Amino acid sequence: MRRGVPGLGGLSPIVLYVVLFALLPPCLLFAEAWSSQGGAAGLSGVLADPLNRAALGNSLIQGALSSVVVVAIGYPAGVFLGRYSFSGREAILALFSVPFLLPSLVVVAGVEDLFGPSGFLSVPIPGLRALGSGLGGILLVNACFNLPLVALLTAVGVESSDPAREEAIAVLGGGPGRAYREVWGPPSWVGAGAGALLTFLFSSMAFAAPLIVCGPRCYTLEARIFTLDQQLVQPATAALLAMSAVALLAVPTAIYLLLVTRLRDRTPVGTARNRPIPWRRPVGWALAGATAVTVALVAAVAGAVAERALLAPSTGGAGLFSPALTQRLGISTSAALGNTMFFAAGAAGIAVLFGLLAGFVLRIRPSWSRPVQFLLFLPLLISPIILSFSLAEFWRPLLGGESTVWLLILLSQATLALPFATQSLWVGLRRVPASFGEGARLLGARPITAFLDTELPLARGALVSAALLAFALGLGEFTATYFLATPRFTTWTVELYRLQSLRDYAAADQLAFALLALSFVSFLGLLVGGRRVRL
Amino acid sequence: MSASELLRIRDLSSAWAGVPVLRHVSLEVAEGEFLALMGPNGSGKTTLLRLIAGLDEPTGGSVELRGRDLVGVPAHRRGIGMLFQDAQLFPERSVWENVAYGPQIQRRPAAEVESLVTEMLELLRLRSLADRRPEELSGGERQRAALARTLAPGPSVVLLDEPFASVDAELRREMRAEFRRVLSARRTAAIFVTHDRDEGLFLGDRVAVLLDGELRQTGSPADVFEHPIDERVARFLGYNIVPAPAGPMAVDPSELTLARSGEPGVSAAVVARGWSPQGTGLLVRAADGSVWEVVLPKDEVGPPVGSTVQIRWQRGVPLATSLDRDRPHME
Repeated sequence: MRRGVPGLGGLSPIVLYVVLFALLPPCLLFAEAWSSQGGAAGLSGVLADPLNRAALGNSLIQGALSSVVVVAIGYPAGVFLGRYSFSGREAILALFSVPFLLPSLVVVAGVEDLFGPSGFLSVPIPGLRALGSGLGGILLVNACFNLPLVALLTAVGVESSDPAREEAIAVLGGGPGRAYREVWGPPSWVGAGAGALLTFLFSSMAFAAPLIVCGPRCYTLEARIFTLDQQLVQPATAALLAMSAVALLAVPTAIYLLLVTRLRDRTPVGTARNRPIPWRRPVGWALAGATAVTVALVAAVAGAVAERALLAPSTGGAGLFSPALTQRLGISTSAALGNTMFFAAGAAGIAVLFGLLAGFVLRIRPSWSRPVQFLLFLPLLISPIILSFSLAEFWRPLLGGESTVWLLILLSQATLALPFATQSLWVGLRRVPASFGEGARLLGARPITAFLDTELPLARGALVSAALLAFALGLGEFTATYFLATPRFTTWTVELYRLQSLRDYAAADQLAFALLALSFVSFLGLLVGGRRVRL
Repeated sequence: MSASELLRIRDLSSAWAGVPVLRHVSLEVAEGEFLALMGPNGSGKTTLLRLIAGLDEPTGGSVELRGRDLVGVPAHRRGIGMLFQDAQLFPERSVWENVAYGPQIQRRPAAEVESLVTEMLELLRLRSLADRRPEELSGGERQRAALARTLAPGPSVVLLDEPFASVDAELRREMRAEFRRVLSARRTAAIFVTHDRDEGLFLGDRVAVLLDGELRQTGSPADVFEHPIDERVARFLGYNIVPAPAGPMAVDPSELTLARSGEPGVSAAVVARGWSPQGTGLLVRAADGSVWEVVLPKDEVGPPVGSTVQIRWQRGVPLATSLDRDRPHME
């Protein structure tokens, strides 16, 4: 009996999904804009526009500066967490997952609450107002999101180094500097490098922070594309600018993929287990200080949102659910919550399903690792605005207009969560020895049965972690949802932005707090499972 | 294929990243036979088992089970059992559930599964451990449970990949006897992989020696041990290779002695001296650079390290000439 190509059945739906919902729509959008705008001449014209050039410059500057800032603080923090053992270490590692689970608007609200015109810190110390608006505010928001990520990725790199090699260097007379250069430094650089690139990708295409904290003078390409399509009704120009954005992101995305693959290929060995913090040396204090700064930033932002929400409302939660507000927004807060939960749960389901399919394919076809990874990480290249823009242009006419907006929101959230959910799942699956599945196959189980019966139960924690991560990402997703949503399909993040636009700050603070609480539930789920975000 | 021939492997080859791991291996296993596949670490033994099981794909050659070509048949449809070095029991399941897994996958009726599992647990004396999880078992119990699980679906042949590697010496002896007893009782053919010469020679109805991806020699344990086909096989079997006028000769360490004055011998330098259960052990380096192991009677202290001695031997096994040396020998 001859068999077909094993794994092809599992790979086909993944290819189909990525092509139909992540690859084809932007490609067709770009091709159409390219031909309608006169090809290269049209593109030159778009790039010659001073506002577009400013957006490109802002993307590069904000991306680069954010990367530098977060690596400067996040790298020592990551070394501290990856290398030393101390009580509370696991709690800090879990806490560092929080920003990634927080909606961007909540972080922006937190930064404004701390450093805005009436901020907790900027009122007593006016000099800190620079951190509540303009480029300073944007950098702070980006740092809040990405600082813990760089620290986590650096810690993973440090943990993957081999302690036996370090001991061998020590007994042969090599000092700490040599051990750093030859053993644990290089993997930590890989982790920090991956974190820096991820920071660049996120920050250069940030949407909420430039929009709210600074305004048009700080618009990134993402915000400018949104403006061109949604406000100035120039979709072809927006598409050509989006094409430039994809080209800009291609190289950092490729390098990030390379680095994160290296990181995943290394098995963590837990060097931190038995090494105490070197309090007698200045480096110990410096590393602990960087960690404390990161912890303080995360805690302060989350705390500011919580405190503002708890202090502000004289109306309790009633204002948020009042008929007057429903009339102004066109949707009730409870209906928006329903939308939020539906999209987040649906997106998590889709992302985990494809992550699982990919995991199964890689178990029986390890040699396909690179192409499958490339396929699933392709959405990283496509920012939320570009994805939603192209989905709307390509699929909305085919699917029948406004009534299918929900489907486009669901698909965009799922596609954006796909790389992160997959990565989280793969890290768990890689730790399950292949021989369990092989053993089941030798007992007569079909490959998929062997995978579901014997391998997946052992990666249950990673599965839960991936699902919660995808759910939390959907929960906080603002950019793509805002681009696509009509009032009927408004989510809480979109409602929050609209409340801020309407200057209903009391209701906005309450909603931000509710979003924070929802994210906290996801965080608790991760914490109970003893998991960390894997990127 | 003869009536009793169960498994036939022809010209099986495999490569990893372009580097050959197995080269044209041909081998037969008869019904109920226990074949010990011996070779040092890295010789390709596990690769050969994985190819037979269908877990990896060969670059060439064929595997036939009762005349049926298995190339292209996935592992779950081959009807071949395999026991891994570290048992790999499913940690989420009890011993009973592990043993029942195969028959349940075969969709056998519940009553039949129940009776089969009970039979297997009794055969391997695991009845009292049926409800335990793998982490609650000792190393030996885990291997016995793994064998019960492997045998439960009724495989035609069982592949045993160094199943005693992680158990201590005392338990190993017990496990060898247990495994032979059970496999004989079930009349199940087995290929047993080991890098331990004594274990392979003791357990195998036949033995096969795999070196650097090539099957160098097969035969009965006595035949292979007493007539190693070439230097490489002889070295693996623990022989010293000494020069003789008619060509190289394999000599057991116990057959090498120190020549007394006036007796003919080969000059060698003592490089190490130590204790061994058989007597004083010496390592000597001959003029051609080869190192020989010499065992002196227990009452002899032996010459000091650095001294030059004359070595002689009582008897040895003449090895194949250089012309024959690269030609693997089959029965």
